[in-house]
Amino acid sequence: MKFVSIASGLMAACLALATQTHAQESFKIGNLSPLSGPAAAFGIGINRGIELAAEDVGTFQVAGKPYKLEVVPYDTSLDPGKTVAALNRAVLNDNVKYGFILGAAVHGAVLPIIRQNGFFDIFMGAAGKEVTNAENPTVFRFMASSDQLYYTFTPEIYKKLNIKRVAFMGPNNDLGRSDVKVLKEIATRLKGQGVEFVGEELVELNAKDFQASLLRLLAKNPDVIDTNASPTGTVGLIAKQARELGYKGYFISSTAVLEAKALVNVAGKGADNIVAYRIWSAAPTKLYDQIAERHQAKYKEATLGTVWEAYAATRWVVEAVQKAGTFDTKKVAEQLANSTFQFHPYGPASWGGDKTYGARRQIQTPLPASIIKDGVWTPLDVRMGTLE
Amino acid sequence: MLADKQRAIFQRCSSMSLTLLLQGLAIGLVNGALYILTALGLTLIYGILHIVNFAHGEVFMLGAMLVYVVYVLWEWPLLAALPAIALTAAVVGWLVERGIFRRLRGQWLQLLVATVGVSLIIQSLSWLVFGAQEKNVPSILPGVLVAWGIRMPYERLAAAGIAMCMVAALYAVVYKTRSGLAMRAIEEDEETARMLGIDTDKVAGLAVALGFALAAMGGVFVAPIYSINPGMGLEAILMSFIIIIIGGLGNITGTLVAGLFIGVVQSMGALLLGAESAHVLVFVVMIAVLIFRPQGLMGKL
Amino acid sequence: MALYHGAMALVLMPAVATTYWMHIAIVVLLNITYTVALFSVLRMGYLSLGHAGFIALGAYTCVVLTVRLDISPWWGILGAGVMSGTVAWGLGAMTMRLRGIYFSLAIFAFGEIVVAFFRAFDWFGGPSGIANVPRPVFFGHALNDHFSFYWLVLCMSLFFMALLYRLQYTRYGATLLTLKTEASERLAQSVGIDAARLKTATFALSCAVVGTMGAVHAQYLMFINPQVFTFLTSTDLLIYAMVGGVSHFWGPVLGAGLLTLLGEQLFSAGYWKTLVYALVLMVVILSLPGGLVSLLDRVRDKWFSNARN
Repeated sequence: MKFVSIASGLMAACLALATQTHAQESFKIGNLSPLSGPAAAFGIGINRGIELAAEDVGTFQVAGKPYKLEVVPYDTSLDPGKTVAALNRAVLNDNVKYGFILGAAVHGAVLPIIRQNGFFDIFMGAAGKEVTNAENPTVFRFMASSDQLYYTFTPEIYKKLNIKRVAFMGPNNDLGRSDVKVLKEIATRLKGQGVEFVGEELVELNAKDFQASLLRLLAKNPDVIDTNASPTGTVGLIAKQARELGYKGYFISSTAVLEAKALVNVAGKGADNIVAYRIWSAAPTKLYDQIAERHQAKYKEATLGTVWEAYAATRWVVEAVQKAGTFDTKKVAEQLANSTFQFHPYGPASWGGDKTYGARRQIQTPLPASIIKDGVWTPLDVRMGTLE
Repeated sequence: MLADKQRAIFQRCSSMSLTLLLQGLAIGLVNGALYILTALGLTLIYGILHIVNFAHGEVFMLGAMLVYVVYVLWEWPLLAALPAIALTAAVVGWLVERGIFRRLRGQWLQLLVATVGVSLIIQSLSWLVFGAQEKNVPSILPGVLVAWGIRMPYERLAAAGIAMCMVAALYAVVYKTRSGLAMRAIEEDEETARMLGIDTDKVAGLAVALGFALAAMGGVFVAPIYSINPGMGLEAILMSFIIIIIGGLGNITGTLVAGLFIGVVQSMGALLLGAESAHVLVFVVMIAVLIFRPQGLMGKL
Repeated sequence: MALYHGAMALVLMPAVATTYWMHIAIVVLLNITYTVALFSVLRMGYLSLGHAGFIALGAYTCVVLTVRLDISPWWGILGAGVMSGTVAWGLGAMTMRLRGIYFSLAIFAFGEIVVAFFRAFDWFGGPSGIANVPRPVFFGHALNDHFSFYWLVLCMSLFFMALLYRLQYTRYGATLLTLKTEASERLAQSVGIDAARLKTATFALSCAVVGTMGAVHAQYLMFINPQVFTFLTSTDLLIYAMVGGVSHFWGPVLGAGLLTLLGEQLFSAGYWKTLVYALVLMVVILSLPGGLVSLLDRVRDKWFSNARN
């Protein structure tokens, strides 16, 4: 009796194993981003973007074999040491060759590993030439870089809002410091229009009290305070504390995720006149709305900011892999860089950056400009140029 | 080189109007009061039981989280929410004393590490239960007071006022009540206190409960001024450490003085030298105190 | 006997392990060495809450020497140890007279200041740190992959562990135990032991060890920034030591090894990982005051007594 049951069990197992080899394999996409901590919304948003894309892509063929998407999450807490450990694990242990890596600040540590292993880096982060350049062919920036925003968008916004005196309050790290330089350069270029850079304050990344630094800046009478890519909470607190000190001007933010509701929660009426250039106040495409609806239905909350870009990146990379007919990251990179994509929720997407970065690794999509009026995002009618 | 820098600072000082400097001072004093509010619970527990409560920052965070849950989500009236939170924190503190501190009485190393463990538990549970999204408690007193060219939000003034009241109340409890007397007796000499009939266990429980309640209340009143997230405990305990190192461990007056002092140093430092320099300045003060007066400004070794 | 097997396992592992296991082994060895060094100060009755600061000091010294000043990575490692040890000697001389929590807070303050200092200046990379840290070259072969770097880490940690172990069981080590409390220290001084010198020397040695391994750690990451070694790192080391047990040498080894392995396994678990760590810690502290190593002692005693019967 016992022998029979064991034997049948073994046979069933063998059968299952055999059929497994004919079932589709997984195309693993890693997600090395903060899944816990204050920036967790970014990482979780990427997870969800990949999941929604997986639903639309389903089972797909690469060189005749069927594949299905699989997300492999790694919590990095935006810490370089943890990101190094995560990438080691992904590449050496989990056989993951493609992945999202979030955070410009962590890239210093991981770029050597990426180059060594030819890891395909779907880079979500600002910064500029330090990350996307000719030496890193498998690194693609799938969101707008600060250079892009500053060179092609900011001057238009200044013109529209009649901004002359520009101040900057950003994080005291690579990003903040390089952006100050770029902003000063822009101001010099716009000298003819009367634009002047009047002051900068570099604050600690997790600071909560900006009163003294704001006091210094406000003494110079700025028309706009550029809060760079600071997180939502920080932008809210800066706005609140600046208003408390009597500031009546504009704020500009290049943060990817900036909910008006969150800003109003912190700053109340003070949130009015915050300008953002990565926030859509009206849906640019039907796909954008569809994804928002699906997200609400599936996850029971408002769409997290990184979902749309992660969705687009996943589908575009899968398309590139299919067209290239291989998972070889260098070949897929070539294929991707020369393609355009029609399923990006923001609109038609392509690649640019040859001149500015020495490599076509900067995504080009339509981008919005919005301003908070009466506590909600309203569109600001400004067009953005393309990055050469 | 140094002369140039000094000249630059002098120019900046003199070019700044008096209003600006006074505003900076006002900001410093009020921030200092907020620091006192943050550090008071730690001072009490160390003062009575000589335990450095590493979980202090997390209890502070818990207070802020609870005021969000109870006042914003469940919409309780403020007058019901505040005592409820204080009581909850006190009960948690009492349980921690009973279950953990009492068992490890006398083993200072294990006690210290146990408080680290408690802090990690509270922190990780908070991340898991409350989630990572930043939360906000709306201002109870919106609006800004404008006087003599100086602007100060009512919310902050209120919190500063409450900080002072708490210091006064703590003095009253510790120096003017029987329980306070019992606490001071234990601090002085536990053996003798027990022989004199004082229930040292009960008093220790009371001290920790009170310390936890103070920490939570600190979080409650600081909550509407900044935003709330489960990671704010680390900052709170680091600041509290700095305050008690400079003021003197377990010394209420020390906490008061050090809090205001550091608030002003930070604010004026940031105004005159920039935010990063001000940050370093605080550490320089801390090291100076440790080298030249390790017991703190008001403490005794 | 067990020691011999353990050593053999460590030496033979690269032959059968995957690259990922090499990564784990390197991290485990680093943590064990840090914790054992902390332990040598702990058993004197002094709790250092800023050991991470000395690790960082060593790491940054090496990085600055090799990246900014183009000096060979081997000298970088040596320089790191010398720098950490010297600064620790100076700091120790000033702070060892402080007892208990005052000492701990002073070292905590130092740890914070070190990190803030490196954060403030661009020459040290500022908040973003310095990348492309070179690894040492051994007879013409650069130790650029996990396998070859593992040998370096293994040799250095075994060396330091052996050093600290031997010191513990010499007369010097026994003398250190007499310094554990203020009373016994006074007693020791009355028989002519220069307590202050001894304590400072031990503290300096411990910090030199962690500084050297910090340099190795930075070379492993090929990167350093102010967030790599923080106050949380110091508390982690303390937790490893306590969970392992501070009654004898193998406690910290056990604690660091087990908890690091546990941590790597729970990698994607985010806050569950911290919760598990904390619960393990609380269980051990409350029910096994001697740490996990005392459990092994009990098992061993039982086994022997059974064998006898």
